[in-house]
Amino acid sequence: MGRIYGKTATAFAREAVQLAVADAGLAMSDIDGLLINSPGDLSLQLQRGLGLRDLKVLAEVQAYGSSAGAMIQYAGLAVEHGMANTVVCVFADAPLKEGVSAGAYSGTRRTYNGFSALGFAAGYGGANPRYAMAARRHMLSYGTTTDQFGAVAVQQRAWAAMNPDAQMREPMSLDDHRASRWIAEPLRLLDCCLVSNGGVAVIVTSADRARTLRQPPAYVLGWGQAHPGIVQERGSRFGEVSGAIESGARAFAMAGLRKDDVDVCQLYDCYTYTVVVSLEDYGFCDKGEGGPFAASGVLGPGGSLPTNTGGGQLSSFYMWGMTPISEGVLQARGTAGERQVDRHDVVLVSGNGGILDHHSTMLLSPHAKVD
Amino acid sequence: MTEMTDKPVNHATNEAEARPLPAFAVVARDDASAPFFDAACEGRFVLRSCLSCKQLRAPEIPMCTKCLNESFSWVDAVGTGEIVSWVVLHPKPVAGKVAPMPRVMVTVELTEGPWVLGALLGVESSSIQVGRTVTIDFERPEGSEPIPVFR
Repeated sequence: MGRIYGKTATAFAREAVQLAVADAGLAMSDIDGLLINSPGDLSLQLQRGLGLRDLKVLAEVQAYGSSAGAMIQYAGLAVEHGMANTVVCVFADAPLKEGVSAGAYSGTRRTYNGFSALGFAAGYGGANPRYAMAARRHMLSYGTTTDQFGAVAVQQRAWAAMNPDAQMREPMSLDDHRASRWIAEPLRLLDCCLVSNGGVAVIVTSADRARTLRQPPAYVLGWGQAHPGIVQERGSRFGEVSGAIESGARAFAMAGLRKDDVDVCQLYDCYTYTVVVSLEDYGFCDKGEGGPFAASGVLGPGGSLPTNTGGGQLSSFYMWGMTPISEGVLQARGTAGERQVDRHDVVLVSGNGGILDHHSTMLLSPHAKVD
Repeated sequence: MTEMTDKPVNHATNEAEARPLPAFAVVARDDASAPFFDAACEGRFVLRSCLSCKQLRAPEIPMCTKCLNESFSWVDAVGTGEIVSWVVLHPKPVAGKVAPMPRVMVTVELTEGPWVLGALLGVESSSIQVGRTVTIDFERPEGSEPIPVFR
C-alpha cells in the first residue's frame, strides 16, 4: 500500500486476496464468497480474475467509509446462515499516478448541472470542505480548537513511526501541524488523510473453521451500523454528532460489552476531527470534550486509550475502512510488532462514510468470548 | 498559538490587488432545478412548501422533511438567515502563479428553517461569527444560471 504505481485497483485486489488466502493457509478453491468495495475500477469481474468458480455469495458493497465494516458484517451473516463457508472481503484503489499531485488542482472552467452544481461552482467540491464545515460546527458548539485536532495527528504519527507499512513515518510536532497549509480552514494539510494505492483483503469464516487455520483468529464479538440520514435544517446536529452513537450502542449490545471494556481503538480518521467526534460518540468522553480528551495524550503510545495504532489514515495508508480493520486484526491477534499494545482483549474498529452519513462498528477480540 | 499564525502572511502590501477574487464556474439547469433558476433570474430565492403539512424545505430536497409528502409548491423565501458554520477555501499554491483570494463558504439557516450553502461575499473571514445575519443575493457569471450567495 502507498506510493506504488503502475497497477490497477483490480491488480491490487487480486494480490490482496491471494496474499490473504495464503496467509490463512487456505487454497483459492476454499473460497465460496466474495464481497467487493472500491472507488476504482474493481467490478464483479474480479471473480474471473481470481479464477473463482461456483461462488455462493458475490456482490459489490457500497456504503463509502463504512463499507469495509459492512462487508464483514454481511459476510458474517452469510456464514452464520450457511449461505457460504469462507467469504473474502476486499477493498482496492489506485488513485495515485506517478509525478501527479494527489490533489491536482484543475483550473479549467467547467459546467455543472442542477442544484448539486451550486457548491461545486463556488469551489466547494469533494469531502475536504464538507468535513471542514462539520469540524467548524464542532468548534463553535463545543470550543474545540485546531490545536486539539493537531494533537490527534501528532499522536498518530508517533504510532506510524513504529509501522513499517506506514507512508508517513518521520516525526511530527504540533508546530509542524500549525505550519502545514490550510486545505479547507479549519482543516490543515496534516488534518487530512493520505491518498494511497493498494488493496486489503479479509477472510471471514466460522469460529470453528478459523481455529483450524494458520493464523490466530480475530473474533467478531459485536457489530453495528448507523445511517442517520441527516437533514440540514433548523435543529440539525450536523457536525456535532456522528453515527457512532447508534452504531456503537448496537455493537456493544450484541457483544454484551461496555465502552470501559475496550482496550484499543481503530477509529476511521479521514480527518482528525472525525476521531474527536467518534471518541465522544462512543462514550470515551463526554459530548463536546473530545478535543481536550484527545489533546491530553491518551491516544498515543503509552496513553490510556491507544488509538489508530498503525498511524491510521492520517499517517499509514488510506484504504477506506480497511485501514482501521487491518490494524484492528493485527492488534487483536497480537501480531502488530513494535507497536503491539499489551492489552488487546477488545479492539473497537469504526468506519465512517459520506459526510458523517454512514457508520459501522465492530468489536474484535483474540477470544471467542469476553466476559 | 497566537492569532497571527492563523492568518495568511502578507508579503506585499498590495496583495489584495494582486490576488484576483475566486471565480464561479458555470451552472446549467436541469429539469428539477428549472423552476428554481426561473425564480432566481427574477432575483427571488424560492423554497419548496409541502402541500400537505406546509413544512418548508430547501429547494433541492424532493420529499417533505417532516411528512415525506412529495407534492409541493414553490414559495419565496424572505431572503435572510443566520450563519451556522463556515469554511475558508484556500487555493492550492501553484509555483509561478498568483493564487486567487481564499473563498469563504457559509452554511446559513434561513429564517424559514432550511439550511443553505453558499459563498459569503464582502465579509472578511476574521470577522465572521456564528449567528450573524446575512442576506441572499445572486452572482451572475456569464453564461451561467444565477448562483445564490450571501452578503
